[in-house]
Amino acid sequence: MSTAMIFQQLAGGMLKSISIFCWTLLFSLPLGLLIAFGRMSRVKIFGRFRIVRGITKLYIDIMRGTPLMLQLMVVFYGPFYLWGADIGGFRYPAIIIAFSINYAAYFAEIYRSGIESMPKGQYEAAEVLGYTKAQTFVFIILPQVIKRILPAVTNEMVTLVKDTSLAFSLAYMEMFTIAKQIAAKETTFVPFAVAAIFYFVFNWIVSAGMTKVEEKLNYYR
Amino acid sequence: MKKNKVLAALLVAVMTASVLSGCGSKEDDKTFTVGFDAEYPPYGYMDDNGDYTGFDLELAEKVCEMEGWTLEKKPIDWNSKDMELDSGAIDCIWNGFTVDGREDDYTWSQPYVDNSQVIVVAEDSGISTLADLAGKTVGVQAASAALTLLQEDQAELAATFGGLQEFADYNSAFVELQAGSVDAVAMDVGVANYQIKTRGEGYTILSEVLNSEKYAVGFKKGNTELCDIVDADLTKLAEDGTIEKLAEKYDIADLICIGK
Repeated sequence: MSTAMIFQQLAGGMLKSISIFCWTLLFSLPLGLLIAFGRMSRVKIFGRFRIVRGITKLYIDIMRGTPLMLQLMVVFYGPFYLWGADIGGFRYPAIIIAFSINYAAYFAEIYRSGIESMPKGQYEAAEVLGYTKAQTFVFIILPQVIKRILPAVTNEMVTLVKDTSLAFSLAYMEMFTIAKQIAAKETTFVPFAVAAIFYFVFNWIVSAGMTKVEEKLNYYR
Repeated sequence: MKKNKVLAALLVAVMTASVLSGCGSKEDDKTFTVGFDAEYPPYGYMDDNGDYTGFDLELAEKVCEMEGWTLEKKPIDWNSKDMELDSGAIDCIWNGFTVDGREDDYTWSQPYVDNSQVIVVAEDSGISTLADLAGKTVGVQAASAALTLLQEDQAELAATFGGLQEFADYNSAFVELQAGSVDAVAMDVGVANYQIKTRGEGYTILSEVLNSEKYAVGFKKGNTELCDIVDADLTKLAEDGTIEKLAEKYDIADLICIGK
């Protein structure tokens, strides 16, 4: 197989890797915000236990404390072993679910770091001006939070691109799985070099795009 | 702004396409899903066009032609093969699948290939018998039949090795062999022949083999219904010479044991 053919084969796999990337971002970014709210919740039961905070903290600890590859296997094979469910067409959804719930945990902590970094005085000023809590958050806090957390979010996005290769453990035909198969058949390492180029170029585009967004949002400087 | 819209449209297109391809329609009664390791030439691998082929897959294709089934070739991660089979994600494992040592774990078709586990060494290594391996580092693929063999029936021999190095794929093993970080690699003879043929000179297979064993199609334990159908078809394919022709195409004619 010529190198050009390898490029062509891997390009098809790259589309699948990118689709994992896009779907994961689509679900995990909002889910992460929700979890961040839970993580900062002051709701108590029995006047003592911060129940929502405890649950979301446990969730984040589990998602960050266990390997993503293991989570992928639990999400895909779990329904069968627990309930005997038919998981025939579930492979792709399982991958998206596992990636989304895992990345949501990381994004939640990034959101929290941003939200908690806002000075208390802003909340007080907003209250004096007659803003409701929701208005304060949406119009005053969130826009500033987004600007502050962008570099950390870019970090996670770049990691996500590389993590898509973990889908090989469910034998999903994303780029890295295909690279391994071509390497086995051709008995060379060339496909891995090509795979590295693909990852690098796509990550370069992602980080360039995020830099542009940062510049756009930098309207007060 | 326009550029952003184009980019967004592209992303949506990719995502939609992936969903459509991800949830292909599934016909329960007519699809025969074969699970295989796509990194296992000549039995199952990806060809130049990106299609899966190999001796075992073509054989499965013939069975499907006889039964009027649609063959679905499902590449799996070899370490997860039992989960794939148990959960019904695949109907069988058909991929140079060694029976010996796994007799009671699956419902097996009749064996069709006489395989042996062999040792590959560099030509100039000075190793020519199994006894020469004493003190040497031997590589073996993780979760492979060769590994089980070295841990059980040939554990005594393995105890004389300087070390047993597990690796994920044959590429790494051969590079390590070339670089001298392992002195020998244990693997199936069919795989060894393919690797040596593709890589060219410099390697040799020891004439002393570790064992001889059989390949068969493995079904989920208790699935005799499906197994019997495939088994009967294999007999027919052996009788009319189809299997022999296929074996010649993939250079494994001398390994075939079905119908002999």
